Amino acid sequence: MRIILGVLFTALLLWGSDATIEVKKSVDALPSIAVEDASNDYTDGLSKRFFRVLVSDLNVLSIFNVDRDYVRADFEDEKVASVHKELNYVVRYELIDDGGVMVVKVNIINNNKVMHKLTYRLKNPKQYVFLVHNIAVAINNFMGADPVEWMKEKVIISRTTGANRSEILVTDYTLSYQFSVKRKGLNVFPKWADKSKKYFYYTNLSGGQPELRKYGIYDRSDKLILKSDGMLVCSDVSDDGKKLLLSMAPNGQPDVYEYVIAKKTVTRLTRYSGIDVNAQYMTDKKIAFISNRLGYPNVFSKKIGSKATEQMVYVGRSNSSCTAHKNYIIYKSRESSNAFSKNTFNLHLISTKTDFIRRLTVTGVNEHPLFSRDGGTVLFVKKYKNQSSIGVIRLNQNKNYLFPLKGGAIQSIDW
Amino acid sequence: MRALLYASTVAAMLIFSGCGSSEPTVDDTANANNQAEEINIVDEGGSDNSNMSSTDLDGGAANGASTLEGIEAKMSPIYFGFDQYKLADEDVDTLRQNVEMVKNDTEAANIADKYSLKLEGNCDEWGSDEYNFALGLKRAQAVKTELINDGVPAERITTVSYGASNPVCTEKTQECWSKNRRVDFKLLP
Repeated sequence: MRIILGVLFTALLLWGSDATIEVKKSVDALPSIAVEDASNDYTDGLSKRFFRVLVSDLNVLSIFNVDRDYVRADFEDEKVASVHKELNYVVRYELIDDGGVMVVKVNIINNNKVMHKLTYRLKNPKQYVFLVHNIAVAINNFMGADPVEWMKEKVIISRTTGANRSEILVTDYTLSYQFSVKRKGLNVFPKWADKSKKYFYYTNLSGGQPELRKYGIYDRSDKLILKSDGMLVCSDVSDDGKKLLLSMAPNGQPDVYEYVIAKKTVTRLTRYSGIDVNAQYMTDKKIAFISNRLGYPNVFSKKIGSKATEQMVYVGRSNSSCTAHKNYIIYKSRESSNAFSKNTFNLHLISTKTDFIRRLTVTGVNEHPLFSRDGGTVLFVKKYKNQSSIGVIRLNQNKNYLFPLKGGAIQSIDW
Repeated sequence: MRALLYASTVAAMLIFSGCGSSEPTVDDTANANNQAEEINIVDEGGSDNSNMSSTDLDGGAANGASTLEGIEAKMSPIYFGFDQYKLADEDVDTLRQNVEMVKNDTEAANIADKYSLKLEGNCDEWGSDEYNFALGLKRAQAVKTELINDGVPAERITTVSYGASNPVCTEKTQECWSKNRRVDFKLLP
């Protein structure tokens, strides 16, 4: 009896332990899916690129075992291709050139039966990548999986192209779509102005003093917001887009400031003789930020208006950037105290409510982490073996994906 | 041009120092032809900056380059240790050697009298985040403090950080990285 009770008690302990250490062998358990191209237009290569992006998206959804082979089909054919007859699902698409407008018809097929139909119209076929992401989100929603609305979001990056030169690009999370919005000079730290993503803030370092400017990707307006000696970076934008957290150094001293856009007022939030930067809104009244007040960079928090600061991370001796979402913080940490050993920078996820900590990356320099709005996915920048990539971490699915940049390096990113 | 700026900087220092899943179901309601979703991501019409030339933004600020080039050859940026922004004794010595070296160049001093001194803080490639930018700034600020201590008017010195964006060396070696952890001197009109 005691043995049985002991076993039951042990089982109970295991059941109640941190679910995040559960080891899954899930690949075989996932339903299988394949993609079939039924296009008779855009066959100059676009329909194949469409295929590749869609296969990639389905893979990132992390709910399918995706067949990567390119297969042609007839859109009206009731049966799937013979090589796909054993698979659970087939996504068949047809690209149609309707007088320059791309019409995309999509069928989701299961057991040779069309389960779901989608149709899209795209005025500019060059933006097909975002259309593919929309299709992937629709498929995900049809399957009832965790939301992946973040897939449709525009991403903005600063890409260094040489010493004192950079380019700001509007892109998608896979870097498949790239549209250059600023090429001249040194422009860094782009940050979307609000959820509409029609404007972004950025730091211009081409002149004498660092400038914070606001650029419109539709109207191409370019407005000076602030100037400051030393450094001036927009670290975060409030959810309503009405306030900015800045890293600024008007007297050569980098501290955190809050800028209220409507009033054009700047309020200093931190006062420390070392370095306080990279503030992120945890709530409207509380921020997380990076400070070296312990002699090395680490993550701290404070309520706006309060003098008290709270240390948030108790592991690592060099935690130099962070991002916050509700009760979770992701920070970048240097793994080695030896400056020139492997010197890997990895991302770690912590809860502000418990002792929970999880390492999210393993190799290379990993930085600029960003939560999706739903908090379930993290976008970051990875530098490894002279290659700069956008990384995607599906937190609940324990999956990481990389999308390399061709040429240059990603200086910073916003989502 | 770089020679001109470096030399002008030195001259300026001379002057300044002198001044003090769920299972899906069949969607029967889907009507493909009537529910087409319009997708429009970015208005790519018009022109962006792609036609702009990418010429060097380091504008010409002074003349007398032949004189200043000679001075540049003798100039030394101030270098820093990994993750450090405090001046070591030898860095202070380097800074003062630069100043002393220029004191004998009155032509460069006359040119530099018209400019402000811009201290540019730089970092190695280990990180492009805000902390790295702040580190570069603190390096520039450390040099500024030393110059002020030597009598240079604070209002004639500006600081800026380029983080890891302005490397002079791009190889993956310790020696190369150490060359990038530096403060450069420039002159502003």
